[in-house]
Amino acid sequence: MVNGTFSQLVTLGSSGMLLTALIVLWRKGVPAYITAYKWQAWLLAAITATVGYYGRDPQLYWVAAGLLALKGVAIPALLRTMQRRFGAQREATPYVNTEVSLVIASVLVLFAYVLARPWMTVTHLPTRQGLPLAMGLLFVSLFIVVSRKKAITQVIGFLMLENAIALLAVVGTYGVPLLVEFGVFLDALMGFLVMQIFVYHIHETFDSIDVEELTRLRH
Amino acid sequence: MSRYLAIALQTLVAVALAPALVGFIRWLKARLQGRRGAPPWQPYFEIRKLFGKEAVVSHTASWIFNVTPFVVFGTSVLVASLVPLIIAPSGPFLVGDLFATVYLLLLGTFFLALAGLDTGSPFGGMGASREMTVVALTEPTVALSIVALALNAGSTSFSQIVARTLAEPRAALGPGHVLAFAALFIVTLAETGRLPVDNPSTHLELTMIHEAMILEYSGPYLALIEWGAALKLLVFLSLAANLFVPWGIASSLSPVALTIGFVSLIAKLGVLAVVIAVLETRVAKLRLFRVPELLSASFVLAALAVMSTVLAR
Amino acid sequence: MILSVLLMPPLLASCLAILVRPYKRFVGWVSLIGASLSFAASIALCATVVTAGPLQDAASATALWRVDALSSLLALCIAFVALLAAILGQRVGRPDREELSQTRHFRIFTNAFVFTMLAAVTIQNVALMWVAIEATTITSAMVIPLTRTKASVEASWKYILICSVGIALAFAGTVLAYFDFVTTAGEVPGSLNWTVLRATAPSLHPQLLQLAFAFILIGYGTKAGMAPMHTWLPDAHSEAPSPISAMMSGVLLAVAMYAIARWKAVVDVSVSPWFTNSLLTAFGLLSLTIGAFSLVIQHHYKRMLAYSSVEHMGLVSIGLALGPLGTFAALLHVVNHAVAKSMSFLLAGRILHRYETTEIAKVTGLLRVMPWTGSLFAVGILALVGLPPFGLFVSEFLLVRAAVVSGRFWVAGVVLVLLLIVFASLIDHLNGMLYGEAPAGVAVGERCNWSLAALALSVGVLVVLGVTLPRPISALITQSVRGVIP
Repeated sequence: MVNGTFSQLVTLGSSGMLLTALIVLWRKGVPAYITAYKWQAWLLAAITATVGYYGRDPQLYWVAAGLLALKGVAIPALLRTMQRRFGAQREATPYVNTEVSLVIASVLVLFAYVLARPWMTVTHLPTRQGLPLAMGLLFVSLFIVVSRKKAITQVIGFLMLENAIALLAVVGTYGVPLLVEFGVFLDALMGFLVMQIFVYHIHETFDSIDVEELTRLRH
Repeated sequence: MSRYLAIALQTLVAVALAPALVGFIRWLKARLQGRRGAPPWQPYFEIRKLFGKEAVVSHTASWIFNVTPFVVFGTSVLVASLVPLIIAPSGPFLVGDLFATVYLLLLGTFFLALAGLDTGSPFGGMGASREMTVVALTEPTVALSIVALALNAGSTSFSQIVARTLAEPRAALGPGHVLAFAALFIVTLAETGRLPVDNPSTHLELTMIHEAMILEYSGPYLALIEWGAALKLLVFLSLAANLFVPWGIASSLSPVALTIGFVSLIAKLGVLAVVIAVLETRVAKLRLFRVPELLSASFVLAALAVMSTVLAR
Repeated sequence: MILSVLLMPPLLASCLAILVRPYKRFVGWVSLIGASLSFAASIALCATVVTAGPLQDAASATALWRVDALSSLLALCIAFVALLAAILGQRVGRPDREELSQTRHFRIFTNAFVFTMLAAVTIQNVALMWVAIEATTITSAMVIPLTRTKASVEASWKYILICSVGIALAFAGTVLAYFDFVTTAGEVPGSLNWTVLRATAPSLHPQLLQLAFAFILIGYGTKAGMAPMHTWLPDAHSEAPSPISAMMSGVLLAVAMYAIARWKAVVDVSVSPWFTNSLLTAFGLLSLTIGAFSLVIQHHYKRMLAYSSVEHMGLVSIGLALGPLGTFAALLHVVNHAVAKSMSFLLAGRILHRYETTEIAKVTGLLRVMPWTGSLFAVGILALVGLPPFGLFVSEFLLVRAAVVSGRFWVAGVVLVLLLIVFASLIDHLNGMLYGEAPAGVAVGERCNWSLAALALSVGVLVVLGVTLPRPISALITQSVRGVIP
């Protein structure tokens, strides 16, 4: 077991992020999902700032601030506007029901731990315990995208996927070069805005944001 | 002071404190809801009143009905002597270990469910089936969350687990620890029949689980069952508190250590009681078919705790 | 200098379209001029790279833009297809339903799309290349629901969701590879550049790189339309306006394969090539099979073309897995496919405009209704099934030969059988469309104009590539192969 306050804090934060993804699998209301995503983004910003402090890399403070502004404040606000506009309060029964989803999620986390074993032996960073948690979050977010029926929930799953990769970058390599961070931010923002526009399109054209309605194109 | 005497004292303290715990939670809830509420020691008066009354038993009930109150109370008392309440039992004393505890408590619940069916009353049968649904889902989680700790300590004996956490305070903040605590807390709520799984003060057909099973009991039997249920709550809460936050537990048998252990136990129970009271005031009871979702969430938490303990070495 | 002439025109045209409100016709002409400038620059770039070696804008390790043979080859394809699309794209939303805002929307995002594709193949930094590819997804997705129908909204949603998720996985793979690099070599400036990664590759951990490559293959493979991640492709390519479909099918898939090829070059130095080759072959054969069998049951001609892209990308993937000979065949195939597919999609757009239906069954008598378009379309389909004298025959032949030479007879056999199935289904569909009576309500006859002449030029290119492989092109491709296989 790796000791030291730094690694404990980072591991705790990463577990918190994974738990917020599990909340999306467990709860049934879209407002709960948006709150879960907001907490996840705040945790990510906190972890980045912590790594910046202990790793003595002041650039990471800027990255953390950017994460907070974009993913912690702006995107949840936009999501809430979207959700209020469509009155999408409850997720209809997803493709996989809650209990099975939760069990599948734990299996995915187990798989992530097994996958990440060789990496933990390779690196000597104190944050290495966050690696399997980041991979677990990645798989769970993928599962969310695949198994949910409302378009807005799929968007939230995708946003959590991006958080997972950002976490992977932070705990694995103490962040990627600043230019890359900037480009990724921009992409994330643009991608989200486009998805938002498309959810509006879907709502206008189909009068619901249930992706089960999207069945016109086959074969 | 000999160890056996200390353990007997611990059990006595637990038995004596249990109704006060339940009364305290009830009083706190009343205060939070803006009522005056009965004083925290009201359950003692209720138990004394019930012992003075006559037990009315349906003539279709069998010996199970009569035996159950004693089984429930007896297993609770036995478990109270096994778990680390004031003293962390060092060395082998009886079987101071995890699985014995879990299955003793389960024995009590099992008999209670049988007794609910025994009278032939529809409420009893309904309560028994609901309780079995809940218990079937909580048992794996209870075991898993303590196993997460046991894996770290290398043994399922409570004294070892407590000793290990005391030796490595940093690990108390680790994800395995925190997740296992969360899982155990949810399971506590389920097993002891508190909101959001079961409402302990309702007698509506749609909402009761534990109350439905004991609906037919009266007089001393009811007193024993209520006392046993209160003792079960105390045992679960102190288990959760002392396994995960063991500071204050007496490691020697000197009177000073025992007093400190007693005081710290009261403090931890007080904190947890406040948490439960606030939670019960804020949260509404879950519909029965939503309870498996909550319990599978707690199972996943416990599974994650085990994973992060074992695989993150 | 040449690089800026290559990259700036589409960017400037896009900005101009943003600034000019309401839309004026001259913006379209500016786009066309910009596309021609880019094309000319790309030819010049190819010539420079073949004669003088890779071009970069600063010292080797920290240069942002680095154009070697492979990059310039792809830049050439992209610029060519963009030029074709610009020429024919002038007709977007023509007379009866011209909506100026739609056209403006189209111009902004089409030019941005071209810019991001060009940037993706010329940037040296792996992560920034990823940023550019994600940007291509975003810009092309914005154009798909140009006409807000239920089908196009569905297609655009599937496209953006599946491709964004896929690309996110590719970024996970990039981060993993970077993680491997940092734990081995520490943080070096320019550590995310191809050249540096490849140089350090022998000391990287094979296991980690294998996992990273798996993620990257699945991620960029989603973007390249490889099965089983191809489900967005038929929808998006059939619902998008034809010039966009032409660019997406012709070159965007190729850009994703370019990314995979670059990573293959890095990973193969550390892990034995067997790993990447088997993965690429597996995905390639799966794409080929699914593409071939889907073609049999097709009812819509644009989806038919889209599935044909899946099949051809499968061939490219198999080619990359077959060593230097196979890589040469794959890259030649990329060029041929870009030309043939873009031509076919643009012609399909004209057919759609005239017949106003996408169903194969309802399009009959093409040769009578639109003789020029019909014959060019027939040429396009014949080229896509791999008939001589068109270029795809040569590249497919080289591919099968590479398979046989490296001893993978079974791969060659499966490829040949599947190509036969593709041949049968495409020709069958084509026959149904070309002959027969013109349906009621469709105007007959067509004037030949200069946009058709541009398409005839594509046919010329295909024939030239098929009959003789000109020296400069072959030299360019050979050098590109050296970029992939050291």
